[in-house]
Amino acid sequence: MLAQIDELAERIVSLDSSEQEILLNRVAELNFQRGLKALSDKYRARLAQEGKLDQKADEVLAELRRIREDIAASDYQN
Amino acid sequence: MTIRTEWVVLDTNVWIFGLRRQPEYPACVKLLSSLNRLWVKVPRQILRELQANLSDEEMHELFRLLSRYSERVDTQWDKADPLLVKKYQRLGCRPGDAVIAAHLEALEVKTIVSENRHFLSEVQELPFRVLSSSEALSELMS
Repeated sequence: MLAQIDELAERIVSLDSSEQEILLNRVAELNFQRGLKALSDKYRARLAQEGKLDQKADEVLAELRRIREDIAASDYQN
Repeated sequence: MTIRTEWVVLDTNVWIFGLRRQPEYPACVKLLSSLNRLWVKVPRQILRELQANLSDEEMHELFRLLSRYSERVDTQWDKADPLLVKKYQRLGCRPGDAVIAAHLEALEVKTIVSENRHFLSEVQELPFRVLSSSEALSELMS
């Protein structure tokens, strides 16, 4: 594995700096997408456990509206 | 005015529909996946609403992800100015929506992306516009 990483690093440093920048940005983007998918999977699994995954959008929106008003009432009581 | 270069606020419903992968709103998923191309402010009210929906661990994971784009995603824990909140309540907003509007005005953000079709529709001459996630996506890709 370390040898593969060394080889990959050699290939990357052989690129010019603008190509390296594009590559690093792409790696960061893919890492972000992967992390976002993992978070979404975790959240969806919890919602499924709670029987909420199949809620219709209108129900979710209604719940979000209620939460919004509850938080506003607690943050701005006066 | 374009969201390709200006700060936006994503309403809580965009974050939640995106993370749920709500079938009725596929553009929310795409918009969250495009965070590396957006400039996003996340004000306190939105943060608290996300906290109310996500577990501590999920929230921590979300922050960890957002920190990868710390120059593009700006979280703000400051309360909205109560005078601005009152102003929007006087204009007819419900208290919660008034807080969001006050955050937008204070942060000088000119666009909120929301799937609430009636969001602040009762208020004339808002200092910001409301886009759906599909409209925002079109603008981002144009």
